Amino acid sequence: MNYDLVICGVGGQGVLSIAWVIDQAAVEAGFHIKQPEVHGMAQRGGAVSALVRIADVPIASDLVADGTAAMVLSVEPMESLRYAKLLRPDGWIVTDVTPLKNVAAYPDTSRLFDVLFSAPRLIAVDAGALARKAGMVKANNMVMLGAASSMLPVPTALIEKYLRALFATKGERIGNANVNAFRMGDAAGRFAASLAAGGVPAGVIARVVPRLDFEPRPVADEITAQWQQRLLAADGGSLAKRIFASEEVLALESGLSALVG
Amino acid sequence: MDRILLGDEAVALGAVEAGISAAYAYPGTPSTEIFETIRRHAGEADPPIRGLWSTNEKVALEEGVGVSYAGKRALVSMKHVGLNVAADPFMNVAVAGAHGGLVIAVADDPSMHSSQNEQDSRYFADFAQVPCLEPSNQQECYSFTREAFELSEQLHVPVLLRLVTRLAHSRAVVTSSPPRKQNEAQYVADSSLYTLIPSNARRAYGKLLDKQPAIAEYAERHPANALTLRDARLPGILVSGVAWNYLQEALGPALEQYNLLRIGVYPLPVRKIRQLLDASTEVWLVEEGYPFIERYVSALGLMREPPIKGKLTGHLPRSGELTPDALRQSFGLPAREALRLRGLDEVLVGRPPRLCDACPHDDAYAAINEAIADIEGEVRVQGDIGCYALGYLKPHQAIHSCLCMGASIGMAIGAAHAGMKPSLAVIGDGTFTHSGMAPLLDAARENIPIKVFILDNSIVAMTGGQPTMATDEQVVDLVAGLGVPRSRIHIILPTPQKKAENVQLIRAEIARDGLSVIIARRACVTYAKVIKEHRRSRKPAPA
Repeated sequence: MNYDLVICGVGGQGVLSIAWVIDQAAVEAGFHIKQPEVHGMAQRGGAVSALVRIADVPIASDLVADGTAAMVLSVEPMESLRYAKLLRPDGWIVTDVTPLKNVAAYPDTSRLFDVLFSAPRLIAVDAGALARKAGMVKANNMVMLGAASSMLPVPTALIEKYLRALFATKGERIGNANVNAFRMGDAAGRFAASLAAGGVPAGVIARVVPRLDFEPRPVADEITAQWQQRLLAADGGSLAKRIFASEEVLALESGLSALVG
Repeated sequence: MDRILLGDEAVALGAVEAGISAAYAYPGTPSTEIFETIRRHAGEADPPIRGLWSTNEKVALEEGVGVSYAGKRALVSMKHVGLNVAADPFMNVAVAGAHGGLVIAVADDPSMHSSQNEQDSRYFADFAQVPCLEPSNQQECYSFTREAFELSEQLHVPVLLRLVTRLAHSRAVVTSSPPRKQNEAQYVADSSLYTLIPSNARRAYGKLLDKQPAIAEYAERHPANALTLRDARLPGILVSGVAWNYLQEALGPALEQYNLLRIGVYPLPVRKIRQLLDASTEVWLVEEGYPFIERYVSALGLMREPPIKGKLTGHLPRSGELTPDALRQSFGLPAREALRLRGLDEVLVGRPPRLCDACPHDDAYAAINEAIADIEGEVRVQGDIGCYALGYLKPHQAIHSCLCMGASIGMAIGAAHAGMKPSLAVIGDGTFTHSGMAPLLDAARENIPIKVFILDNSIVAMTGGQPTMATDEQVVDLVAGLGVPRSRIHIILPTPQKKAENVQLIRAEIARDGLSVIIARRACVTYAKVIKEHRRSRKPAPA
């Protein structure tokens, strides 16, 4: 088994904290790791990335070739595209949809989302909204770690253990808020993955999941099934576009009936 | 004990457990985490490890030499260009030798992720005729550091440990071994070796030359210089440091079709290289950094049998760090298929680093830019190294040079002598004490008409918030002490509210003859908390 994961975002978004948590969890799970990261000048609001290499045999290289990574996990939508060339053709992009526009030339977001949502294997989450709900506006990174966790080769419980360790010195409130953010992201990620497994197109899922109101627990199977059925309908694609464009947050349980009505 | 460590952290732990009594450093990416880690563990050692963030790399190394002279072990760490600053003590302590183990850990930055050049520190070790250890992974960072101290004491030479960015800033599990006790303090028996007046220096240099066969034999026999000869009809690869990792990633099982010599310890193991050359149809030279080994082995292309393929021959990229992709291309392997998204290039723009929101440098630059805007003719501002080097970029476009630590003031002096008026320089508080004071002394001595802006934000911010040597009134005292009249030292508060007032003052100083120093004083917003801690923990001045 080997699994190469690219984690990316903008300096200050907590990219390296995500890597730290996965490192610890992977080693406790008995894997070998190599984990290069960017320090220094780029951390001043520039593009920041880390690579986590996980394998059950010793790993030689700190860098990977293009077309090697299994996942790009991004805390910012444009940044997820910066590393797409590292992905295998069947690799996953897991990204926040909250743009961080600290450059003048930042692209038109509707164009950006059109390109991003064309990725064949994609989980998009509004990490900003879920982090706010968790009571921790800076926890976008932990939401995204949650969104990716079900697909990582490391037990989610171990990830959560080291997430708690990361915030051990910051007090209970901050620790709990980050765990909640993580669990909401996990719920969103698992929900999206089930829809994908059920045949819903990636671009449809990516436009719906960011507008749903996740709780810090998995979404009930029957709710997922209802969404799956609705999104597989002939107008699923146009419905998803409407949901994404509306920017309104929909409740998982009642959202569907509201839409139907 | 197993720990997940950065390469830098593994060096630090290796040094701590090798029994260092002191460590010195100047912050610089990618070396900074070495000293930061030592500092975190300093109190656990018995007795606690001494040391500090030194004023600059030269001072750091001299402090380390003093520890060695007194019989104890010291680690000195810096980035590659820092070794230029420390070159004088480095070249001379090679002659003097080491008493207590002395290891200089230098982190090179191929591809210039955070640097002005990608110079290769192996040349410095070669130049000084001291051993160089080049770890290829985090475990070797730890074990080579421990070994470097043994080697230093065994052969009485300082040892250079060469890291590169991708190793310094990459994590893996490292297994450590039981710590060693610190040395007892005992002066070097023969002080003449460290008293390099010519008569002694000639004798000491003779001793350094006498050590060379033992140093060469050490490298020749070292297991990190590993030769694998498979078949005389095969091509060969000579590979060093982290390039070995990329080679495995890029070539995989195809590596078995090559004779192989791995190098991790210098000077070069000549006998093993001879064997590889004799046994191979051609030899690839794969090394991270400059074509250091290749220049030796190929004699700059004068040696044709067997053919050498490397950076000098155009078979590998001449600049930038190596990557698995670069090696695949060099060895004729196809790029792997990767995910492709249509239209990606149109929605992906660069995101360079930038000054933080509410950064005092931004306001300082805004005031300087406005003050010089209506001067006839071109006005250029000599810049320096730190966050404020980002002032070159839009939207500031406020500086027009950034050469090396402390260069701004000297360059402004030169530009003034060349007839440029006004001649301006911008330098931060950390860079000023690192190497800006000496040129300001030149300017003060002759009242050279330059205008120096010291951006005093109370911290060394770029490298992660290390303490500055002087801030606030200490900077004023230093400037005055160098001979700048108090009437020509001005303090401005760089804020948007004060902009008009600041512009007026800068204009007035530019209009005056002679030297002026304008200190833009406002604490860094990003490290406000750290600055408070530094202020609290600052030792009182001697009474």
